[in-house]
Formats: sequence, C-alpha cells, structure tokens
Amino acid sequence: MGNQPFSVLGLFDSAQELMDAIRAVKGRVAGRLDAYTPYPIHGMEEALGLRKSPVGGMVFVMGLIGAISALAFELWTEGVDYPVVTAGKPVFSWQPFVPIMFEVTVLFACFTAGLGMLFLLNRLPFFRHPMLGSKSMPLITRDKFALAVEADGQDLDVAAISSALRAAGARAIEVVEQPAPLGPVSPNFLLRVAAGAGIACLAAGYLTYWGVKLFPVTVPMVHMLDQPRLDPQRADGFFKDGFGMRMPVPGTVPRGQVPFTLRGPGDAAGLGNPLPRTESVLGKGRQAFLTYCSVCHGALANGQPSMTAAYGAKPANLMSEKFRDYSDGEIYDVIIRGKNAMPSYSADLSGDECWSVVHYVRALQRALNAKDSDIPMEAPK
Amino acid sequence: MKSEAVSLPGGMLPEALKTPSVILGPVSLGGLDDQVFAPIEQRPTRAWYVALAIASAVMLLGFAFIGFTFVTGIGAWGNNIPVAWAFDIINFVFWVGIGHAGTLISAILLLFRARWRNAISRFAEAMTIFAVICAAIFPLIHVGRPWLAFWLAPYPNQRAIWPNFRSPLMWDVFAVSTYFSVSLLFWYLGLVPDFASLRDRTKSRLRRFFYSMLSIGWRGSASHWRHFERAYLIIAGLATGLVLSVHSVVSFDFAVSLVPGWHMTIFPPYFVAGAIFAGFAMVVLVLVVVRATMKLDNLITLYHLEVMNKIILTCSCLMGYAYVMEGFTAWYSVNDYIRHTFWQYIAGDYRVAGWTMIACNILIPQLLWVRRFRRSYFTMVFVAIAVTVGMWFERFMIIVGSLHQDYLPSSWQMYRPTLVDYGILLGTFGLFFTLVLLFARVLPVIATTEMKIVLLGSQPRHGGGDHG
Repeated sequence: MGNQPFSVLGLFDSAQELMDAIRAVKGRVAGRLDAYTPYPIHGMEEALGLRKSPVGGMVFVMGLIGAISALAFELWTEGVDYPVVTAGKPVFSWQPFVPIMFEVTVLFACFTAGLGMLFLLNRLPFFRHPMLGSKSMPLITRDKFALAVEADGQDLDVAAISSALRAAGARAIEVVEQPAPLGPVSPNFLLRVAAGAGIACLAAGYLTYWGVKLFPVTVPMVHMLDQPRLDPQRADGFFKDGFGMRMPVPGTVPRGQVPFTLRGPGDAAGLGNPLPRTESVLGKGRQAFLTYCSVCHGALANGQPSMTAAYGAKPANLMSEKFRDYSDGEIYDVIIRGKNAMPSYSADLSGDECWSVVHYVRALQRALNAKDSDIPMEAPK
Repeated sequence: MKSEAVSLPGGMLPEALKTPSVILGPVSLGGLDDQVFAPIEQRPTRAWYVALAIASAVMLLGFAFIGFTFVTGIGAWGNNIPVAWAFDIINFVFWVGIGHAGTLISAILLLFRARWRNAISRFAEAMTIFAVICAAIFPLIHVGRPWLAFWLAPYPNQRAIWPNFRSPLMWDVFAVSTYFSVSLLFWYLGLVPDFASLRDRTKSRLRRFFYSMLSIGWRGSASHWRHFERAYLIIAGLATGLVLSVHSVVSFDFAVSLVPGWHMTIFPPYFVAGAIFAGFAMVVLVLVVVRATMKLDNLITLYHLEVMNKIILTCSCLMGYAYVMEGFTAWYSVNDYIRHTFWQYIAGDYRVAGWTMIACNILIPQLLWVRRFRRSYFTMVFVAIAVTVGMWFERFMIIVGSLHQDYLPSSWQMYRPTLVDYGILLGTFGLFFTLVLLFARVLPVIATTEMKIVLLGSQPRHGGGDHG
C-alpha cells in the first residue's frame, strides 16, 4: 500500500448536515463509509446501512451460562461434595440458591455487554488507528461530525471523494494517512516482555500465598489465641500442687453412672454376667474393647498389640488357657480393679460396658480357639 | 421536545404542564466541554483544599478508630448479645442504600428516557461507587478478622468445605460485590468517550498518556456507537434488576431470620424504597453544593432538583405506608412478640430514635408538597439532611430496636454505642466526601456525551419521536 491514504474525511458542523451528506454521498463514491461523531446520532445505523449490534444475543447466551453454572455449582457444593442439612431442608433444595444465581447471571451478562462491546465488537484497545493521529480527531471528540470514506481493499480516488464531500457540504476535508508501519519486534524486546510477565506472575503468586497463608498468622492477626486462661494439662503456679487442672472432689461420680460397690479383691469372682448375649451388647463390648483394651492386649486379645515393643511390658494373652478358665466375674473384677501394671477402668467404663466387654472377650476366646465341632456340619446327602 | 409547538383541542398547553427545558440558556457542544472540563484543567480553589483537608482528616480519624478496633478487638464496640449487630450493620445498610439512588438515576431513569437524568447521572453513579466502598468496610471489619475475609469466596481449600449458599449473608456477599463491579463497569463505560475528549483537549503529555490509556483508543466511530448504545441500554436494564435485588437481599439478612420485627414479607420493597429515599436525599445534598461551586447551574438546574425532590416526597409516602404496615402486621399477626417489638419502636427504651425516624422520614418531607419549598435551597437542604438522619435512625430502630428485646427476657440488654462506634461512622463520611471531592477534580462530573444528546438541535430532524 505504501503511502496510500487510509481515508478521506469531510467535516460537518451539525448532525443534520452529516446525515444529509451521508444520503448525498452514499453509493456515489468507491470506499467504505463511516461516520465519526462526538455522541451517538439517532438513525445513523440505517443511514450507513450498518447491521444490528449482536450485543443482545451475546448477553443472552452468557447470562444463561452464568445462571446454569451458578446453580450447578451451588447444587454440587451443597448437595454432592459436602452436603450439609440446614433447617431440615432437602440437600437439593434449589430455592435458596436463586439469589446467588440471579447475581451471577447479572454479573456475567453485564460484563459480556460491557467488555464484549469494547474488546470484541469494537476491537479496542486500538492505539494506532489512523484516525487517532488525524488533525480532525480533537474536533470530532468536541463538536464536529466527520464523514469518512475509508479504503476498502483498493486505492482511494482522493480527488473524486473530496469533491463529492465538498458538494455534500463539508466545511473541511482531511486526508488521513496510514501510520508508519511498526518495525519488526526485536528478540530483546520479546525477552524483556517474557521476563516481565514471569516476574509479575511470581510476584502475584507469592503475594497470594503471603496473604492467604502467612499474613493471617502473623502476630497482631492471631491475637485471639492470646487469652487470659489456663489451657488443659499446663502447669500453673496459682495452685499449691503446681497443676493448672483441678482434681474432682473425692467421691465425685459422673452423671448417669452408678458407682461400683465391690469392697475387696475377689468380690466379683462369683458374679455371673447379667447381660444377654445379643448382637447389640456384643457390639457395645467390641467398641469399648477396641477403645480401651486393644491398645495393650491387641485387637485379637492375644497380648500382641503393635505397641508392645515400645512399651516394654508383657500384657496378658487373653487367649491363653489360664484366662479361658477365668469365670466371667473374675474378668469383670480385673477390669474394674486392675491387675499388675493394668490400671482400673472403673472411671472409664460403666458396669454394663464392663459386662459387654466380658461378653466380647468370651466371643473372641471362642472364635480363636474354635473346635471342629463348632462348625455346624450336615451329612452330605 | 418542542414544548412551544404543543397545541391541544382546548387551546394551548398550560405553562405549568409543559416539560421545562433541562438546560438553561444557550449551550453549544464545544461550550459544554469547556464548561464541564474546566474544573479538571484549572488549579483547584482554596475552598476545595480546605474541604479536602477537613474530609480527609475525618477519614483518617475513622481509619485510626478502625486500627484501634483491629488491635483491641471487636470488644471496643458497644455490640454484645443480644445486640450483636449494631453500628456496623446499621451503617452498612445505610451506605448501601445511599448508593442505590445512583443506579436508579443512571439505569432506571435511562430506561424511562427521563432526559433530566443525563446531567446528574455521572455524579450519581460516582456516589454509588463511593457509598458502596463505605458500606463494604463495615461487614469486613465486623467479621473481626478481615484478613480472613477471603474465606467467603467459594474456592477449593484444604478445609474441604464450602460457604453456605443457603445463608442470606452469603447472598449479600454476592449481591454487593456484583453491584459494585457492575456499577464500576457502567461508570467506566460512560467515561470512555469523555476520556477521549479529555485526551484530545489536554496539552500535558503526562495527562495525554493517562487519558489515552483510559479511553483505550476510543474514536467515536458510528460502528462503535451502535454497539456502545446497545450495550449501555442492556446494562441499564440488567442494573435495574440488580439494584432492586441488592437491597432486597440486604433485607433478607433480616427478613429470613426469625427475630420479631424482622420476619416480615414487606421488608424487600420497604428496604428498596428506603434506599432510594436516602440516596436521593444525599444526591440533592451534594448537587446543591456542586452546582453552586462548580458553576454548573445552567446544566444542573432548579428543575433537576425539583424533580428529585418529588421523588423524595414519593418515597417518603412509601415509607409512611411501610411503617403503617409494620404496625398493621404487628396487630394482625396476633403475635405477642411482634406486637411487643412494635411497641418498643414507638414507646420503648429507644422511642426517641423511633420518633426521630418518623419525624424525619414521614413528617418533614411533606413540606415538599409545596412547589415553593421544592425549589428553595434552604428547604431542600433541610429536608435532605432530615432524611439522611431519619434513614440512619430507621436502620438503628430496625436493628437495635428489634434485637435488644427478643424472645428471651432474661437476655434483654440496652445497647450503648462507644466512642469507637461513632468514630468509625464519622470516618466513613470523611471517606465518602474525600472521594467525592477528588472525583470532582479528576473526572468530568457531567457525562458530556450524554448531555450533548439532549442539547437543542443535537439530533437530526427526522421521523419525529422524542429525540430532544
């Protein structure tokens, strides 16, 4: 193209003159017509034959996407990924999700309209457009109206267009040149842009990390942790014994627990297990056994838990002959009174729980020392 | 609108029924630019510096009180159970409400093609943005640890939990942040052609660089205007729904709970009307000063102020209806708790606040029925200040009045704000007016592009219609 002009401008004083000129020039000159005005002019689309703006369709589609994605996200988080029942509502109740769905719809739609209009449809930002360097531009953004005949793939006939514009009443004519072409981008420049982008990414990443991970745990931010109170298991000089925690008054009994009334060792040996051997009782016993007993005696009560080596003691193997011969009452007695290194569990387990544990231990003993006759066999037919 | 040409079968249209011109005296397209851009291009006056100094000093005072709150904790405020929401939420609702007038003027009145809005839309939109900034401060500092406020965002985290989207407080987060972003976008879009004008006017290279960046190469092409107008109209339509939703959602914070005095279906429209009411009062208050000090009285005329005063009067009547309906709901519900709360409003410990609210919101604005008062500076400023005070007290009554005596008499407590509470409230006024003053000096306070549309003879004579 070389020094071919980009367009020929005719300047007019009013919107009326501009519209008249468009009517006069349209179809009579070679080139694409465009108008430049300080404000939108009614009827310009029809006069220039511009197609209707597709903003509406874009907004509708993006608004719909906003609505669907917001609702789907809310349903997924509150109903699938981490369902939380609030106020007894079903987890898939959609009604409370409507306000946020609406807001996200509006957000998507508005930003599609605004940014889509600027960036996609109007192809802005565009700082090197030939018009921006023209002498008429400051007049156009102020109070003048320009009709431009722009090169449309072929060279402009400047003389013919100028005379046509003048005949249509143009007060001034300007030929707008193509701006000088940009030189090729140097590798050095590209390198600097890449380095700048990389540094910006790193800085943004670290700032996010700092703001989310480090800043909230710096000293003034964690002042809620600094409270005038005694934490459990901490020493404190306030009491004579140096403990922060207080022992309950002797004879204190937890709510709902009946104290054991056994007096001397062996008192319980003769007692029979008062609980029936039902599934729920065995379940309760299993629960208590796993919580309190299995730590030392092992999950199978065979005296081989995972921590024996570290502990150094030799917990009893409840599967041995000796303990299989214990009566129910004797096992019960050991639980509530303790034996050798084993402490009493009377503070942790209620009487019923102790008897359930006894049942469960019996079940384990039976299961691990099963005889052939325990398997119900039917003679083959 | 050629009002002089209107003739009716019964003779000429009476003078009082004609739509007055929205601009006084002859204004040319270029002259409009010169007039509106003048404050940006001149050195500010001494009065402006004094005003800015006062406003920013008040703002810094507020920030100091906020800093004090961070170091000491929320205990520095008067809030306590049962009044766990007090100044922070009162001020939040108050400021968000003030923002609503801006969107109403810029969006809803655009849809109604009210030509008088063009002169004041830019200022009102700016006030929206500044008011929402002031509003956003309060919930942020009320959460106690604002540095953890990002927990409100639904992002995948190692806690593996999500925000509760069923909570009205979460709706609020989305509504207010959407409102702020959309208002900012709408404001910026309107500013783009003005930035282009400034870019082409300025002699300073630095300013030219900034205005070029901000106007992103806008060149006023007809093919651009057609997309621009369409997008602007669509955003106005969407913003209309948005602005109604935002204060409705704010009212859900109250209405969805079970506190007596809050749990009412009238709350969303009641809140929206109140927001527009307070917002217009603030717009009138600021515009009265702006048109006088910035020499814009031919563009922002008494007619503009009068129309806004009419809207204030309308909203005042709506508020009166809402207050009466609150009483009616209390009586008709046959619910002791709601009745008790209503009596608290007018005869309880906070009755002074309650009657201030009724006097300022319902009684004083009735002055505006008189045309002379609608056009009198003194009266309109008096009414605007009264409405601002009254609407603040309305939120006080709704929040403190309802909370301080709830279902359990053993927990009843009076609420007394502390010095820190007052300091932070004052500080947001400082922030608001600091931003307004800076805005008035840095950006065009009137949307010149929109004003040019309604100048006489700015549109071609064709096909009739209401093109001005």
